[in-house]
Amino acid sequence: MAKSETLEMLRKEPGAEDMDFSWLDDPAAERGMRVAPGKRGLTLEDISVGTYGDPPEMTRNQSGRMRGSAPRGDAQNLGAHWMIKSESWSESAMMLYEEALQRQWSSATDIPWEEMPELDDDLELAMSQLCTFLTQVEFIAGDLPAKFAPNISADHFETGLFLATQIMDEARHLDVFRKRALANGIGLLQAGPGAVGLLTSQSFVDMTASLHLVGEGFVQSLFRMGEMIAHSEVDKRIFRLAAQDESRHVAFGIMHMKHLLEQEPERRDEIHTYLDRMEGQVGSTPNQAGLTGGGDTTEALTILLGGGKSETQMDEGFKKLMAIRKRQFNEYVHRLDVVGLSDRRERMDPMIQAFLEPRRN
Amino acid sequence: MPDTTTQASEEEQTESPAQQPVIPPEFQRPPLDMGWATAPTERPPLPKDFGPEGFTLRKADAGSYGWAPDVWPYRNDTPRGAWPAPEAQRGLVAPYTIYEKAEVWAENAADLYEQGIRERWAPATDISWSSIEPLAEHTEAALDQIFTNISEQQYNSNQVLMGWLGEISYGFHEVKLYLSTQVFDQGRHVEAFRKRALSNGGGLGVQMPGFMHRTTYAAFKFSEFIFYTNILRASFLLALCGASDKLARSQADRELFEHTASDLRRHLAYGADHIKHYLRADPVNRDRVNTWVMRGEAMMAADLQRDKPLREALILALGDTIEEGKAALKELRSAQLQKYLRTLEAASIYNHGDELVPAFQAAIESP
Repeated sequence: MAKSETLEMLRKEPGAEDMDFSWLDDPAAERGMRVAPGKRGLTLEDISVGTYGDPPEMTRNQSGRMRGSAPRGDAQNLGAHWMIKSESWSESAMMLYEEALQRQWSSATDIPWEEMPELDDDLELAMSQLCTFLTQVEFIAGDLPAKFAPNISADHFETGLFLATQIMDEARHLDVFRKRALANGIGLLQAGPGAVGLLTSQSFVDMTASLHLVGEGFVQSLFRMGEMIAHSEVDKRIFRLAAQDESRHVAFGIMHMKHLLEQEPERRDEIHTYLDRMEGQVGSTPNQAGLTGGGDTTEALTILLGGGKSETQMDEGFKKLMAIRKRQFNEYVHRLDVVGLSDRRERMDPMIQAFLEPRRN
Repeated sequence: MPDTTTQASEEEQTESPAQQPVIPPEFQRPPLDMGWATAPTERPPLPKDFGPEGFTLRKADAGSYGWAPDVWPYRNDTPRGAWPAPEAQRGLVAPYTIYEKAEVWAENAADLYEQGIRERWAPATDISWSSIEPLAEHTEAALDQIFTNISEQQYNSNQVLMGWLGEISYGFHEVKLYLSTQVFDQGRHVEAFRKRALSNGGGLGVQMPGFMHRTTYAAFKFSEFIFYTNILRASFLLALCGASDKLARSQADRELFEHTASDLRRHLAYGADHIKHYLRADPVNRDRVNTWVMRGEAMMAADLQRDKPLREALILALGDTIEEGKAALKELRSAQLQKYLRTLEAASIYNHGDELVPAFQAAIESP
């Protein structure tokens, strides 16, 4: 509340006749906030204090009022926002948002394009094919979170901010893989079935299960093995930077799933069904096993991993590809352990189980 | 937080394990096919002379790769320039609804995308937060009310814009990429102004009436939404940032307004270029845009006329006395109108100053 003498003075000023200062006289929002920057600057976590740092478990805010600000009775009801925090909340959203801002990079200037070597024709063709696949699927991972963003309550706005960074990252991935395909004389090649199936997600947790736990997680594992795939410093750097971005997306999804399962353990079986679908156990729809390992992509990866297309090279490449697949599945199982779905291992298809390391005690 | 295997180091290290995997017997290497290598796509020229802006999208998208058709023909995520999979192998038809170039296109989208990335900033570290000095309580409260308004409106624009991304088909990738930078910019505005409001002894103020919020959500067409956010709302906010000589009380405040203005200029540039393209595509579109213009102005007027806390906050923040503040608010409204009219001209809507919605004109002339 402004000092009464200040208000008195303001009210007596010439021109103040049509002003009432009620917003100043009796503010409904908490005041006296004096947040100072820390070592990482002034972060979202720093300002998440007092009433401003207390996202409600349940909200009736349908007006877009930012958490902590004062309501007005005549505000428009937008009727679009989820009321329950666990529907979209991830404890890591604030930290990952700030990390994303600090680790943005530019495909135009942070990749040493001028050092692009001339590669063997088969390797260049294979890299262009892999990049065609990645150009095709990467922005599906932007379109999907974008679909749910309008439903994120302003009381849980940190989730919305994180999704904005994921969309930016995925744009850059589409862009960098497209540029890579166009950078060395081959261009884009054969498009495949793509990843439109991910857009069938009907809820936020359907999305985090399908996209973050499975899809992005598998792509992250692939990118982290980029040293094996890449034949130039240009390609290695692209994979390193993209893997860094994917790590944030996966972490967001893991922490969302963990939060949801802690708050609503009764949804456990529902979540299993999303994973059943992604693992290919429901019908014959394309699944994760095809997403990074399907026909054309498998062949391109095999050539890149083996260093060429001779029989010996292809055999070697296929062994390495299986190592990547093994890693993808085992890292997936680790994510499941973290979110509290350790029992999933037993539900998996035997084809996946064949890749798994024995359970650690 | 538990180990999620995702804690990235300064730069994620990719790995090269030498371990020999045991290949399950079900997995055998398929015979070599390489049909994909014969896809009859264009071979692009080797890029050269990157210059300080590097390997930009415009440089990369040479030849047919840079040509966007008037109607995008593929109903899935086929990238432009790739050879499409046979129809039977394309998987699900995607839920995109926008396949006509005129509905989203702007010639400057590719350049604005790269510019957006070059001009990125991080509120946590690029604002001189320590430069903020304690202010008189009513001055700080007035500034905070303005910051609350900016944060809220940008969250609204951001949410609705994200929702539109999934409507735009894959062939117009320049537009999807540019819009992603706008999404990122708006997210930054949400948190930057919130941080400022919470950093100097104040807090957030009162929420907005929300007529424009509702209008953005209710937009039936993407171009309609772009008119509301990138032309009308962005013009007003950019002109507000232009009043930083009166509003800013610290280096941090000035930086906030300058960075935000820099972002908004790109949003305006896309909005104007897109609406211009939309108008050129079909004469009937001019009537549609006129309807959006009238609707937008009416809703903006409703917000301005009912937002008493914002009005009074601007008066207190813009002048040393209330009379000075009222005169400055009138100047600000005039500057906002002029920015809006200039943006409309850039979008090929001329002489609109004579056709303003009366309530909007009244809100500008008698703020």
